Amino acid sequence: MTTLGPTLLPWLVALPLAGAALVPIVARRDARWAGGFTFAVALATTALASVLVAQLASQGPFSADLGGWAAPYGIELHFDRFAAWTMALAALFSFVIPFSWRYLDATLPRERWAPFYALMLLNLGGLLGFSVTGDLFNLFVTMEVVSLSSYALVAVAGRGVAAWAALKYLLLGAVSSLLVLFAVGLLFALTGSLNLADVSVRLAAAEPSGAALLALASLAVAFLVKAALFPLHVWLPDAHAIAPSPVSAVLSGLVVKVGIVGLLRVLQLAAGTGISLEPLNTVLMVLGATAIVMGAFLAIFQDDIKLMLAYSTISNIGYIVLGIGLASPFALIGAFVHVFNHALIKVTLFLAAGAIIHQTGYRTLSDLRGVARRMPQTAAAMAIGAVSIVGLPPTAGFVCKWYIALGAFEADQGGYGFALVFGALFIFVYYVRMLDAFFFRSPVRPEVADAVEAPWSMRAPVLVLAAACLVLGVLGGIPIGFVEPAVVDLLAALGR
Amino acid sequence: MRTFALALVLVVAATMVIGIAGLPPHGDPDGPVHTHVGARYLEQGVAETGLRNLVTAVLLVYRGFDTFLEVVVIFTALVAVLALPSATRQPPPPRGEGAAASRREADDAVPVSPVVFLVVRLLAPFIAVFALASLYRGHVTPGGGFQSAAIIGAMMIALGLVFGREHAARLVPHGAKAWLQALGPLVFAAVAFVGWRLTGAFLGFPADEAAYALREAMVVVLEVAIAVGGAVILAQLFMALDAPS
Repeated sequence: MTTLGPTLLPWLVALPLAGAALVPIVARRDARWAGGFTFAVALATTALASVLVAQLASQGPFSADLGGWAAPYGIELHFDRFAAWTMALAALFSFVIPFSWRYLDATLPRERWAPFYALMLLNLGGLLGFSVTGDLFNLFVTMEVVSLSSYALVAVAGRGVAAWAALKYLLLGAVSSLLVLFAVGLLFALTGSLNLADVSVRLAAAEPSGAALLALASLAVAFLVKAALFPLHVWLPDAHAIAPSPVSAVLSGLVVKVGIVGLLRVLQLAAGTGISLEPLNTVLMVLGATAIVMGAFLAIFQDDIKLMLAYSTISNIGYIVLGIGLASPFALIGAFVHVFNHALIKVTLFLAAGAIIHQTGYRTLSDLRGVARRMPQTAAAMAIGAVSIVGLPPTAGFVCKWYIALGAFEADQGGYGFALVFGALFIFVYYVRMLDAFFFRSPVRPEVADAVEAPWSMRAPVLVLAAACLVLGVLGGIPIGFVEPAVVDLLAALGR
Repeated sequence: MRTFALALVLVVAATMVIGIAGLPPHGDPDGPVHTHVGARYLEQGVAETGLRNLVTAVLLVYRGFDTFLEVVVIFTALVAVLALPSATRQPPPPRGEGAAASRREADDAVPVSPVVFLVVRLLAPFIAVFALASLYRGHVTPGGGFQSAAIIGAMMIALGLVFGREHAARLVPHGAKAWLQALGPLVFAAVAFVGWRLTGAFLGFPADEAAYALREAMVVVLEVAIAVGGAVILAQLFMALDAPS
């Protein structure tokens, strides 16, 4: 039984990818089968991830040597407490897929359903691979699977604006990918190895060089573009707002976290090499705090609810990056838990917004006034999501932001603690605007006045996710206790 | 703004050049690239993998998982194109009397020169044989699945340009298209499974002498899947281009 984890780990990545290849085959007779099949694959992947997390909890982190070649000669997959977020990843996809069934009915012609679902599974497989790989080049390839499928999922929405948003996303994403490839090349030339742990050890043994610094800086910048950290965020608002709502949920909740997981790998790579992370941390703190305030500030002026949610993601990425930059135990724990919790909350919000847009045909606050009267359950879920993202107790958003704020004072950087609270106030303003429009105004549009609640295949995922936002708020100690040992290890490796 | 962009490009470029200058000298036999992982591949690659082409050994055996994902990237490119509005925008082919005329118009907007027509027709079989040769010898000599895929795909596109898309489309049997385009990822997953059952490692290849034929078969199956799957995807990408309006 001790080998169960390493044996199953590669299949966590291979299962959704092979599933994606099968989607067009399954959908040959009837396009509707694509959705059901994709859901089954997502559920199976979630189950697999749960088994791996259970193994991790009982036996600690484990690795799998692919092809039986020990690292650094082969590719190594590694499942640690940070990688455990793959379970949340797969689980959230399992909510997004059934939501897409009815959504696609209204938005996409049938012949494009199979490619759409295949792209969703490819995206999932890429994200899982990216999160568990212990190999530099493998990191690049999995990132490409994620990126390529993400660009296409944005462009699925239509020609005009969607095509432009996707193109902008693609151009900036390609620059970021090339920076990663450049860095991989440099690190390989310096160490002759591609295994992350091995590269780190060999960098530490070699003489400090400008090339190593350049490689780490390139990686950091590339991942900050992927994470859409202000001011590298310009690609995000349009892409996330214009994509079909299930795609927005995936992109905003999950795909931006590629940048955060990547940043974590940079920290692990740098740990022990003697390269000072102080300059990087300062940049992360300043940009993180700026992103919190600017993202929230820009969100206030949006009338389009999806655009508002997109700017809110920029603000929340700021929280996570600030937490990483502070590099104190509380801040790091808060940041990594927020990677999970923001994913959950943002998926809830985008799916709820998607349900409202799907039922009414409108997407701006001024058109959607009074929508809560006709869609009380969805609007309530939206309200729970909003309260969570502001970070009020007792919701999932509170715990992490509280920890990051504590971390700021712990690291003797109280000023950032205030930036954080200030940002939360802005966020509060724009969500109050939304709740006011939804709950306390009279409908101005007949479609809104006559709207009916979303069908169950859309409503159920939204309601369960909203409940999870509350549950994770009450049980916030569980994820915190879970990542704590990993954060302690990381800080020890970083020499703090 | 333009000046700022130019300055930024220059600064980034200068930083990169300075960084690269700090690398170990290129081609230095004592450099880390030649003494660490690479050295082991060169010294033991043939014995460990049974493949005389070490590039193939690294590609399929030592780092087969990367290649699996590369194949997935190619498949992603196809479904990405198929998911886009433009790929399916073409109206359904007209039926009846006017159909043939309009089809000819769409396909033959520019008449094909008889020289090009003849040369492509004449060369197609030779190109196909060359693709097969580079595939068949790929695990021994330079060549292999990806190269073969590019050659077959190019041949199909050339035929499509000369004979019209409709004729070229018949090269890929319609019923099998969904299977063929997914061949790369699916066969990789299947071989990974077989390797797992045989050796206990995902994508493992049996190493003992007795299993020589089996190992050879696994490699050849992978190469064929990469070649056929890749070629079908390349051809489909071409077919999905918007018809000239």
